[in-house]
Amino acid sequence: MDPNAPRKVALVANCLLNQNAKVCEGAHYRGLVSPVVEALRSRGYLLQQLPCPELAFAGVRRWWAVYEQYDTPAYRAHCRRLAQAIAPLIEQYLRRGDEVILIGLDGSPSTGVRFTSSKPDWGGRPNRPEDDWEIVPRRGIWIEELEAELARRGLPPVPATGWALDMGRFDEAGSRRDLEQFLDSREKAVGSRGDDSVPS
Amino acid sequence: MNADARGWRMALVPDALINPPHRLRTALPDVLRVLESSHYGVLQLPPPGGHSLLLAVIADQVAEYAHHGYAVVAIGVRGEPGDGLHWRRLAPLLRHRAVALPPRHLLRPDMDEAAQRQRLAAFLADYDLPAEEQRRWRV
Repeated sequence: MDPNAPRKVALVANCLLNQNAKVCEGAHYRGLVSPVVEALRSRGYLLQQLPCPELAFAGVRRWWAVYEQYDTPAYRAHCRRLAQAIAPLIEQYLRRGDEVILIGLDGSPSTGVRFTSSKPDWGGRPNRPEDDWEIVPRRGIWIEELEAELARRGLPPVPATGWALDMGRFDEAGSRRDLEQFLDSREKAVGSRGDDSVPS
Repeated sequence: MNADARGWRMALVPDALINPPHRLRTALPDVLRVLESSHYGVLQLPPPGGHSLLLAVIADQVAEYAHHGYAVVAIGVRGEPGDGLHWRRLAPLLRHRAVALPPRHLLRPDMDEAAQRQRLAAFLADYDLPAEEQRRWRV
């Protein structure tokens, strides 16, 4: 086996490997989100866990929140610090020609990829389940800052999708199909591409 | 919201156990599978190298868990640099955050894989915080 051969690497949201990171009442699994781990490993992906920005910022006993509540200069600065901590590893993967993808958490105010949660007038005492929020097509704040850090390093955008854990009603079977379609589409894209590796 | 399903336990795991190189793949148990069936979450440690900022971020996370009723263990690999755990640098970072060092379990590539899998599962099953601490936090 050629040790220099390009590898497949999946950057995964922290809570996909550790549901203890979830906001109170938000954990759907005991520990690992096994359908995601299985889908990635069965296709030969190496796993790289991303830090959890909310846990390190607001703690493990934090309330739930929406995009607008986390969209503050202090939280963005915190996310940039985390991005600077993990970006050197990601850069190594990309510079050696590995195929890198990102699996975020759709609906999350921080780690959403295709969707995030929004409610501009949320604030004060949380009173769910009466509260509601909207799902909007947008990156979460952490993903925005991580992508900005990679761009600052001259790295290309990483193909990304999200496991739909924070979209309201969680549909595991639908999420699994969605993820597998994304991964299969990557196989086809990689199979048909030329040499588009990152200059070192 | 659903009832919360978190397991309240997690393991610091070297990159070499999450993404085992070929030489370790058959010699060691599938640690992610054992952790999943033991209801543990994962805190992935970086591969050997600098990573000082990332280790500080990981130490922050361990401190947050350890101070709020979560059980944290570490699983190392004998024969890897620092057992794969970055212990020389991680231990002072944890002490600085007033966190007791997590109990460690070392896997050995020179031992029988099935026996190691059982020992790891037993270690994970046996470890948790004292009942009083669990009652304090896990409501």
